[in-house]
Amino acid sequence: MKSQAMFFKARAGEKLADARLQVNLRQARDKFVDGRAAAVGRYVTDLGGDFEALRDAGAAIRDRVISDLDVWLDSFETKAVETGAQVYYARDGADIRDMVVAIARRHGVAKVVKSKSMLSEEAALNAALEAAGVQPVETDLGEYIQQIDDNEPPSHILAPAFHKSRDQVADLFARTHGRPRKTDIPDMTREAREVLREHFLSADMGISGGNFIVAETGSVALVTNEGNGRMVTTLPRVHVVITGIEKVVPTLEDLTTLLRLLPRSGTGQDISNYVSLLTGVRREGESDGPDHLYFILVDNGRAGLVGSEFQPMLRCIRCGACMNHCPVYQSVGGHAYGWVYPGPMGAVLTSLYTGIENALDLPHASTLCNQCGVVCPVRIPLPDLLRGLREQQVERHLRPWSERLAMRTWAWVARQPRLYALVSRVANRYLRWLADGDERIRVMGVAPEWTLTRDMPAPQGPTFRELYARRMRKNKEEN
Amino acid sequence: MRVGLLVTCLVDLMRPGIGFAALRLLESAGCEVVVPNGQTCCGQPAFNAGDRKAARALAEKLLGEFEACEYLVAPSGSCAGMIRTHYPGLFADDERMRGRVQALSSRSYELTDFLVTVLGVSEVPGDFRGSVTYHDSCSGLRELGVKTQPRSLLARMPGVELREMEECEACCGFGGMFSVKFSEISGAISARKCANIQATGADAVVLGDLGCMLNIEGRLRRLGDERTRVLHVAEVLAGEDA
Ligand code: SF4
Repeated sequence: MKSQAMFFKARAGEKLADARLQVNLRQARDKFVDGRAAAVGRYVTDLGGDFEALRDAGAAIRDRVISDLDVWLDSFETKAVETGAQVYYARDGADIRDMVVAIARRHGVAKVVKSKSMLSEEAALNAALEAAGVQPVETDLGEYIQQIDDNEPPSHILAPAFHKSRDQVADLFARTHGRPRKTDIPDMTREAREVLREHFLSADMGISGGNFIVAETGSVALVTNEGNGRMVTTLPRVHVVITGIEKVVPTLEDLTTLLRLLPRSGTGQDISNYVSLLTGVRREGESDGPDHLYFILVDNGRAGLVGSEFQPMLRCIRCGACMNHCPVYQSVGGHAYGWVYPGPMGAVLTSLYTGIENALDLPHASTLCNQCGVVCPVRIPLPDLLRGLREQQVERHLRPWSERLAMRTWAWVARQPRLYALVSRVANRYLRWLADGDERIRVMGVAPEWTLTRDMPAPQGPTFRELYARRMRKNKEEN
Repeated sequence: MRVGLLVTCLVDLMRPGIGFAALRLLESAGCEVVVPNGQTCCGQPAFNAGDRKAARALAEKLLGEFEACEYLVAPSGSCAGMIRTHYPGLFADDERMRGRVQALSSRSYELTDFLVTVLGVSEVPGDFRGSVTYHDSCSGLRELGVKTQPRSLLARMPGVELREMEECEACCGFGGMFSVKFSEISGAISARKCANIQATGADAVVLGDLGCMLNIEGRLRRLGDERTRVLHVAEVLAGEDA
């Protein structure tokens, strides 16, 4: 998918003005934020668990894998091959597209059903399949809605279409399905299910993501709520799993730890409606499962992060908690971020995977409030990573010269106490002059953006430094 | 006990009364307070702008000014957070400096945290009367664990009625340069904060960081609220004639 991240600011403005989006964002926030808090609460009170210790354990599992990624991938591959699967490694999006198209050709595939795969978004796979004469059908309800809406990109990694209202979806269904317009949600889901069922039965190949792949058994774990994942991975003859190389976990035991964290953090569920653990191709005597199983394990910039200051980002289990809790995401939604992943994790990943120079706004579009860091189930220090990206922008001379000059001048002055005292005194007088006796300044010449949305309270009086010096003098005189 | 007061650059420029309030609180708790004369800024703006070099230079400067004090205290969660949680990392490659910095970091406190945790203060001079709601500033809360300290001090004041707001731990939308780089997003975030403040009907919103204060007060006034006062916790605790 081509990144639009350079247009963050302009898009953010549009999103703030979109009244319908704002209502949906508010509902989603309440649902996800309260949902997580309640789920964590239940884990502690009902199960006697320690969620903070669980987060430590989750982070430790992910760290262990990432520091020996090649080893764990090797053992995963060995196991997967033993169960009849084939394992491919894709360097980038182009590799993914070529591999999937080649697999489709090899097996004479005309139609592909897909369950959610963020990697297929990274690779813009649907367009490539269509170009190769293969029809891709998204079967996750949210992804399906996005697909029939002229392939609009998802706006949330868990709930791709949550920015749309029920009415918008009703119109879309009526137009696409050519059936009478329905507005009752169960009716609409039933209609979607009927349409999708035909696709499930006629597809030759299923493509899924993989929340985790397990080295111990060569399996892929899928965490879903709609059950479409099961159809995609068991009905068609061919199943292709596309996921990131960092998604490997050593054992089933480790998987259970991460599964305790993922739904609680993301959707606020104790467990998702479906957790599927799929191992190998269909064997003699088994009634379900594909005849051919492929794993496409994708690098696309991931391996390069190992050993770097951004390595902790590879722990990410794509739960969505960081965006759900982010005040910026809550205000502008996912599309403003311009690529596959939104919110704090998206700001980091977009910068790292599509190039720091192609996402200059994103690391700055954060108040560094660290609400993301305290909810991240694998303790990724997102604000530190965002700050690290800001540092890289400075080191690579990617910041505007005016900003650099201002920062350098300020920092230099701040190192000269006498000069600084003078400058702060002048600034103080200037602000008081602007306020002109009022308690506030309505328009500022310096940093005028401040007064775009708020007043600036006027300084209370002279600077502390001046007043303190006066007081000290007075004390001396009195003594 | 010799305590170095880090006034902070914003208090110096905008609201000196907070500095004097902090001074009064520390002195009335029995501290000998020094206000190092050459102090300017802790370097946080540079640090958050990605200018590590400048941040480090300012950290070294501050270290020289406060090293001799038993404690460093600041009426700001974000400046104290900068010193306590981020300074050591700035000197990751310089073992000698890191030792010195760590020694100061571990003695650096946000004001209410210092009063409660280190001094065990149980009486404050302030005589504020009215209802207040407390906004937890991000750095104080999430970097330093400042949560119960200011509330326990406010609870000592018979005239103060604390009314908790919804989402008191949510960011106010300030974020330093964020507030000017993304003024509209910042404005949307603070509008929600303001609504939560107003919903309590409290006479004042009380908080511990000047950045958030300027943002919240500026936004409240822009939205037409002339009633709700915006006060630093030090001002409330120390009383008017600080
Ligand atoms: S960064 Fe953390 S909170 Fe955000 S999606 Fe990844 S695991 Fe979840």
